[in-house]
Amino acid sequence: MSIEDQVAEAGAPEQPKMDERGLVELDDRVPKQAKIENGRATIEAQDMTTRKINAEIKWLVYEEGVKEITVLNPRARHSLGVAILARCKLRFEGSLGYFGCGLIDGPEVEITGRVGWSVAENMMSGTVVVEGNAGSLAGAAMRGGDLVVKGDLGARTGIDQKGGTIITLGNAASMTGFMMQRGRQIICGDVGPGLGDSMYDGTIYVGGEVAALGIDCVPGEWTDADTELIERKFEIYGLGNPPELKKFVCGKKLYNYDSLEPSERKLVL
Amino acid sequence: MAEMEGVREPEKIQSIDSEYLSGKRFPYQEDISGIEGIDLDALTPGEDLNWLEDIELLEEEGMPAVFDRYSNSFLKIYYEIPEGRENEIARKVLMAHLTSGNSYGIRLKEAHAKFPQPELGPWVEDSKTTGADWKAPVLEGWEPPEH
Repeated sequence: MSIEDQVAEAGAPEQPKMDERGLVELDDRVPKQAKIENGRATIEAQDMTTRKINAEIKWLVYEEGVKEITVLNPRARHSLGVAILARCKLRFEGSLGYFGCGLIDGPEVEITGRVGWSVAENMMSGTVVVEGNAGSLAGAAMRGGDLVVKGDLGARTGIDQKGGTIITLGNAASMTGFMMQRGRQIICGDVGPGLGDSMYDGTIYVGGEVAALGIDCVPGEWTDADTELIERKFEIYGLGNPPELKKFVCGKKLYNYDSLEPSERKLVL
Repeated sequence: MAEMEGVREPEKIQSIDSEYLSGKRFPYQEDISGIEGIDLDALTPGEDLNWLEDIELLEEEGMPAVFDRYSNSFLKIYYEIPEGRENEIARKVLMAHLTSGNSYGIRLKEAHAKFPQPELGPWVEDSKTTGADWKAPVLEGWEPPEH
């Protein structure tokens, strides 16, 4: 059913509603069109708007108790699958645009295509697996969870990352790990200039060539914990045998948490 | 600066811990037996500890503590922590705090969540939905402008 038909069927208001700020309140009615079978739901997103798709997902997860959802034809729309704050499995058959699956806490997401900027930004927990490439700022400000990109990554991957693990089987562009504060990145291919620039903490593993290290990013000493982490993550996501990796950490010449005020310290925990 | 009559200075504290926010301690802060049955893998998405990998035992005001990012506060631990189990204990204390709904961040949801969401987040299955009927607070005596 097209969006026009949905509005016509539900009875469109004669005058647009206004919110407290005087802005037009958009139509937030949930389509409730997903096919639900044996606790699994399929959403045909071909003719749905971003708002309707997201409302449908939340209705299924929060109200219908559905734990596995497949979204067909996401058509690279922006901001799909955002702010899902519950355990569920979410599969997008196709590509996503900008800010896909941001602000999530709990879902296990699979994207069969590519993604635009800022996939999984601000993720608290959960897993996001992208079969194709990802644009810039993947995993920006991530606080936890795993982001796996089987293709290449754009610039500033994991900028301001505060936790979690970002893995790519391909290459990553410039300023990867810029201002990284905690967490881990595993880049199997080459990395552009400015790796780990101004990072405060965290660990970056690189399998290929590093064009240039950023300010205060230095080679780190390999430990058994590093081997355990890499092997565990590769096994969980079926990524085959990990390549030989080099480890990079913060040189701690620029900044040191010990000198921070308590409230500032909390910002990075 | 001299104190002005009738002006109350806001309380100033050096740290914010969960006891300050909630006004009390919880049993899992004082007794290790309360957390022994917690299954960390089952409580987190994915096939390993996921976000709990980043949770470590820290120190706050000289006490072992774990940081609760959902309320931006430290949760102090008052019993002796067995050697080699520091991070495990920290993670279990945190999960006991979150799954019981005692985290101040979770308690705030009831009053302030603007969008429907599970009250106890992704850690408790079939947690009740909160935030579905949020209404903007109205200042007494204030009238919205005419459009």
